[in-house]
Amino acid sequence: MESVHFDHAASTPVDERVLEAMQRWWQENYANPSSRHAAGVAAAEALDEARRRVAWATGAQPDRVIFTSGATEANNVAVFGHARARKQHGRHVLVGPLEHPSTKMPALALKEEGFEVEELKLDSSGALDIEDAEARVRPDTVLVTNMLANNEYGCIFPIRELTRRVRKAAPHAAVHVDSVQALGKIEVDIETLGVDSIAISAHKINGPKGAGALVRANDAAMQPLTLGGGQESGLRAGTQDVPAICGLGLAAKLAESEREESVAHMTELTVLLKSEINGRGLGCLIEPGAPAQALLPNILSFIVDGPPAEVFLHHLDARGVMASAGSACQSNKRSMNPALFAIGLEEDEARRLLRLSIGKKSTREEVLRGVEVLEEVRSELARHV
Amino acid sequence: MSSRATSEPAERSAEPEAHPWLILVRYGEIALKGGNRAFFEKTLARNIKSACASISDLRVEIRRGRILVWPKRRPERVARRLQDVMGIHNVSLAQGISHDPEEIASAGLAAVRDALEELPKEGATFRVKTKRGYKGYPMTSTELDRFVADRILPQVGGGLKVQMKGADLALGIEVREKSAFVYTKRLPGPGGLPVGTLGHVLCLLSGGIDSPVAAWMAMKRGCRVSFVSFHSAPYLGESSKKKVADLVRVLANYQPTSQLYIVPFAESQEAIRDHAPEPYRTVLYRRMMQRIATRIAKRAGCGALVTGESLGQVASQTLENMSCIEDASGLPVLRPLVAMDKQEAVDIARRIGTFDTSIKPEPDCCTVFQPSKPIIHGSIEDCEAAEACFDVDSLAEEAVKGTERRKIGALDT
Repeated sequence: MESVHFDHAASTPVDERVLEAMQRWWQENYANPSSRHAAGVAAAEALDEARRRVAWATGAQPDRVIFTSGATEANNVAVFGHARARKQHGRHVLVGPLEHPSTKMPALALKEEGFEVEELKLDSSGALDIEDAEARVRPDTVLVTNMLANNEYGCIFPIRELTRRVRKAAPHAAVHVDSVQALGKIEVDIETLGVDSIAISAHKINGPKGAGALVRANDAAMQPLTLGGGQESGLRAGTQDVPAICGLGLAAKLAESEREESVAHMTELTVLLKSEINGRGLGCLIEPGAPAQALLPNILSFIVDGPPAEVFLHHLDARGVMASAGSACQSNKRSMNPALFAIGLEEDEARRLLRLSIGKKSTREEVLRGVEVLEEVRSELARHV
Repeated sequence: MSSRATSEPAERSAEPEAHPWLILVRYGEIALKGGNRAFFEKTLARNIKSACASISDLRVEIRRGRILVWPKRRPERVARRLQDVMGIHNVSLAQGISHDPEEIASAGLAAVRDALEELPKEGATFRVKTKRGYKGYPMTSTELDRFVADRILPQVGGGLKVQMKGADLALGIEVREKSAFVYTKRLPGPGGLPVGTLGHVLCLLSGGIDSPVAAWMAMKRGCRVSFVSFHSAPYLGESSKKKVADLVRVLANYQPTSQLYIVPFAESQEAIRDHAPEPYRTVLYRRMMQRIATRIAKRAGCGALVTGESLGQVASQTLENMSCIEDASGLPVLRPLVAMDKQEAVDIARRIGTFDTSIKPEPDCCTVFQPSKPIIHGSIEDCEAAEACFDVDSLAEEAVKGTERRKIGALDT
């Protein structure tokens, strides 16, 4: 039986066109993009093209795109880079309530350097508590970081409004936004959002693993994490991964240029999936902040009946259905994701939270087959309870 | 893929009026151009579409001295993009709404609140100005102004004072036949004339700060600009070509796609080095460039050459040397920077985005076989005497034959 990929929020298949665009940079032209010969200049031009494509997709200027090994690195560069460069203005940092560990952990690490790190809150509906956020912003706040769309539940945060309130009270604060899940699903435009930087990842948008970018709105000072040959405007030293970056560039372009069609398609499938989950009584959908706060068209989480979601996940896996219990990066960790508790779940509920996420190439047949398997697994596991 | 019938109603027939966001484009000078006005407006409308092609499909409508643009997607991005389109004086992103005065007032309130974020809190002045394109509307302009102002003022706190002339914040309302729209902000455009309305020119691009600025200024006056650059391979590498191509790409933000001609110039330089007096080298290189550029320009249908020369800026740019150089051209030479200080050119280069590329350390062809003491006050007779020692015409013709042509667009994907 063909497998069912219900885990696109963790990773996506590489688009054929992207794969094709990457090919020539492995062997045909493997030059270092910093080399001065013609092959090196051609590689540098390929990087420039990728930079323009990422800039186009995110509404930025090409020379503000810093290529990294992925969004984790981009988030690390942003959190440390912004905070350290601004410490003469203050040491207060605000971190979103549902942040990915790649922004949360560096932010917490800043405590070691004397920064005061506070978390933003969700309101009782599960939406970002914007009034509380505004109240926490201070003149010495130097960094506010909050993801654009959440990887567990798909909720879309009101970043523009948050930024506006931050700017009023904290003139020196940088606002950083992890846009990994948002790109290709909603408009990601750095100027419209009004933020200082965003992070994106190639492998969430049908590009390769190992490439991401920190996209900046301005050239305000930032401190690099890696020092060396001065690549990427001095913010990320090291020879660039030309094939992966070319893949990222095209993936970003396609994600944005095909966004309306893929969103319409994914929305239709998600609506179908939700109605099947509800109709078959497979569990209780968790939609923090909805309907006031919008949701991504491709991610849904629900509390399954019966054993922990992890058990569900393995039974589904054995039948060819890929799903996720909590963020994929942490599925195998014993410690539970604090995001589960941030939305007010009990521990028992949190353990039973299963995430399904579809992609632009998912099909109606795949969704229906996946639902059948979910129901089979539910029935089988009911016998063991 | 899906055979299931959707419950969505079929898209209604073209009713752009109902689309929530539109952009109001104002242009200054072209409205004055009498009989040519329709040509200028159509060209501007075409340039608007082409500038935004990579962002969104647009519906563009020319309306009595303004252009209305309905983007299918990313309206804010489209509005920002239009700030680079030559001929545009300013643009406003407007929200389309129904005729209902209450709805107009509430959309107006949201727009005013938005705009107030960027104004000083106390003492800002405010006005509402309605333009009633649809004369059948039941309220007069003044009545609607009052109606809307009366609903907005109590909602935005005490700081706002009404002032009819020169208000800090003006809420614009336009009532059209089937809808209305409101806006507050005016984003400045470059002004000037639409590219393509004043002919086609060829700009000699060196890679420095000045020539890209000169090209931009020619575009601003309505010229479509093609580019020629002289390359001294094998004395210089591919990266100097890349620098010039990068500059053309930045400039392609301001006009539909650009042509770049890259001329092999080392042979001409070698001939000049071998046969001409050393102090004359730079002037003779430039005469050669004019000759080659003239040939390319005529074949491409360009009516003039454009250079970044500024009087007295470097040794080759004295009045006498400029005469020597221009003497070799077969076309008018436009020098938009002729009376500018360096700093003025730098300021424009920063604004138009070419500065960072221009200052990248990359030698250009003029640095190859540079004379140690260039002539300051050259004479045409001396130039001609020096050129009698080698075959100027066949060198020029060979260079034209070996020219590489690249088509460069802003996004180029």
